[in-house]
Amino acid sequence: MEFKKNILPNGLSIIGEVNKSAKSAAVGFFVRTGSRDESKEVNGVSHFLEHMMFKGTKRLSSFEVNEAFDRTGAQFNAFTSEENTVYYAAVLPEYLIEVINLWIELMRPALRDEDFNIEKNVIKEEIAMYKDLPGHDILEKCRKLYFGDGPCGNSVLGSDESINDLTAEQMRGYFASRYAPNNMVFACAGNFQWGKICSTVEQGCTKWEKQPAERKLEDYLGRIKKERIEKANLSREHICLISPAVSAQDKRRFAAAILATIVGDDVGSRFFWELVDKAIAETASLQFSPMDGTGAFYTYISCDNQNVPMVLDAVKHIFESLCRSGVTEEEMRTAKNKILSALVIKNELPMGRLVDLGFNWVYSQQYRTIEDDINAIKGVTIDEVCSLAKELKPGQFTQLSMGPAK
Amino acid sequence: MAKSFDKHILKNGMVIIGEPMKAVGSAAFDFMMPCGAAIFPQGCCGAGSVIEDWIFRGAGKRNSRQLCDMMDGLGLHRSTSVGSSHLSAGAVLESSNLEQALELYADVILRPTLQQEQFELARQLAIDEVKALDDDPRQKVMLKLREQFYPSPLGRNVVGEIEELKSLTAEKTKQIIKENFNLSQTIFAMAGKYDFDAVCRQMEKLFEANTREAAPPFKIGVGGKKYTHIHNDGAQVHIALMTETVKPTDKDYYNARVAVSVLSGGMSARLFTEVREKRGLCYAVSARYHCLKDAAGIMCYAGTTPEKAQETIDVVIAEFNRLGDGISEEEIQRAKVGLKSAVIMQSESSSSRAGGIADDYYILGKVRSLDEIKRKIDAASVDSVLQFLRANKFRDFTVVTIGPKKIKHGI
Repeated sequence: MEFKKNILPNGLSIIGEVNKSAKSAAVGFFVRTGSRDESKEVNGVSHFLEHMMFKGTKRLSSFEVNEAFDRTGAQFNAFTSEENTVYYAAVLPEYLIEVINLWIELMRPALRDEDFNIEKNVIKEEIAMYKDLPGHDILEKCRKLYFGDGPCGNSVLGSDESINDLTAEQMRGYFASRYAPNNMVFACAGNFQWGKICSTVEQGCTKWEKQPAERKLEDYLGRIKKERIEKANLSREHICLISPAVSAQDKRRFAAAILATIVGDDVGSRFFWELVDKAIAETASLQFSPMDGTGAFYTYISCDNQNVPMVLDAVKHIFESLCRSGVTEEEMRTAKNKILSALVIKNELPMGRLVDLGFNWVYSQQYRTIEDDINAIKGVTIDEVCSLAKELKPGQFTQLSMGPAK
Repeated sequence: MAKSFDKHILKNGMVIIGEPMKAVGSAAFDFMMPCGAAIFPQGCCGAGSVIEDWIFRGAGKRNSRQLCDMMDGLGLHRSTSVGSSHLSAGAVLESSNLEQALELYADVILRPTLQQEQFELARQLAIDEVKALDDDPRQKVMLKLREQFYPSPLGRNVVGEIEELKSLTAEKTKQIIKENFNLSQTIFAMAGKYDFDAVCRQMEKLFEANTREAAPPFKIGVGGKKYTHIHNDGAQVHIALMTETVKPTDKDYYNARVAVSVLSGGMSARLFTEVREKRGLCYAVSARYHCLKDAAGIMCYAGTTPEKAQETIDVVIAEFNRLGDGISEEEIQRAKVGLKSAVIMQSESSSSRAGGIADDYYILGKVRSLDEIKRKIDAASVDSVLQFLRANKFRDFTVVTIGPKKIKHGI
């Protein structure tokens, strides 16, 4: 593996990790923008814009864009989160330059009114789709409850109302302010020739103009709240708990990942033994979600309505004993092994590697090899995990549940 | 050229196949045992869900906790699933731990403890999973579609029916395990980094030489209703439909795959273009090829708000029917490149390869090489695909909807 980088005068970072033994390559533009960078008036614009980026340029119609990608056999798509919008493609080496040129062109889109109006329907269908996925719906709603009116609580998709009210003009304004080269990273992982990639990107992006695209990072502490939403068509009780965690830049993020695995991995965790193994809940997981300057632990549980008191009681005991007695050496060993093997397996695919490579740069302007991450996980001590648990107090959470009428 | 596949048959008849991969440090494996939902006795719908949980709740000398801790300690990521024909128990892990992992799996398959109290928990979880499906209409609609489309009992619901799960006993479930964990009919597939000879030696020791006959073939009946609606006051109508096509053993298999790719391969494919890009009817719309050993179909999903549901299904079915009218050279080329790229990129993942070669071996009796697949995709042309489509017109569609509103279909 060989790491390469080049920062253009306009601020665009071009980074790559070459792996000659891979059969394919993965490329992506990482834009440092998401729902937390939106004002209330334009909530949902980051995600809607992500859709509109595929709608073509002055030269290309949306149909021509789709055809151009499909001619290369690329597996391409994009996703938007609270703080990132990522455009990616996994592709065979012989089509790589073609795909990169296409992405470069698309990063300066036409954003036509007629495309905007049709795509609005698709966005509203996507909002409707997620309403029928309570496991997803509740995370968004609980995040809102936890972060309150702060921008981190913004919904990624927006609401029917905010999308209805959004204009193409507002979107063009948002694009101009956020898709500046100094707010973007181009990353490439897998089998490719660095020189060629670098000159292609340099040539295509050099005219993009630098401009201020800051993110406000103040006052993002969550609150402790408790609510329940009744939804007649649901059959199960869906519970989401959110509590504070460390940020994506914090050195303790590896300890936080271990803590989350010990408490709430799908199998073999404390949640698993107390809730799933005993058939009190069919799903119970805790995830560590590091963010820019902040972070959160998300718990998601799905269970029978009647089991809710038992479930919450068990969760309370788990968090209490975690803060009181910490974790065991055995748990540390197991969690580390699980995380390490998942890390290695994920990074065997160029697409898996691209995501880690890109996000490390976005959050810390830092190149980390897989070995760096492996060593960081291995180096976490039991004391670090225990003191993190004591400090973060995961038992003090915001709770939202959603289920049928009681 | 290096051999692309390994194969060995154990004394007990278990077939071991492997695909070595130079670029990875992981190893994935999969035990495919002939214990799928279609073979379960009447009244035992969902037994597979119970079994796949129960066998891991203690095996050999280890109790549930010890077994799970051992697996976790090896950094082993489990994947167990029940299909129509098989129960698959597999995992992916760093290859240096493969030997220990196989020892644990031999315990799980040959010596599961199967205690009564653990059965109750496994069964309760299986019942809960069925209930949880009500809150996941997209997944549920595809499950119901398979049930209605495939001739009975091939499409039998793998998650289960609550009433049947409630009456399932530990004794009955033990008997199903005993009868169907038949090593002589098991396929063991692995991919990634491994020492094939060492694995074969170890497997020969772990799984003793008892050969057994295959279970007698069951009678295949007919499919279910052409239209099923399940009411749910959700936000969308979830539409699933399926129509018959050729099986992987058919000479026209690759023509069918290319045709499906024209319909729904990439974002320039017809369904995405007509349903989403031009009309804005859906966010999610896609079709894919789906097969069992004895039947195959093209399966399609679309989710849309109630007022657009009828138009959505009308446009989707029109696109199926229009396919045989003509396809451009460009469309065929894109479909072929897309299929070939997908195959090559999947070949980088050890777990997807282990699953892939196991399916190949079961359905075709051999493993197809990457070159063979590429060659056969390349051989498809506008003419061959159109000829296939015209000779195999989409006659009827099995449709299932879940949502606040019914659609009109097949009246």
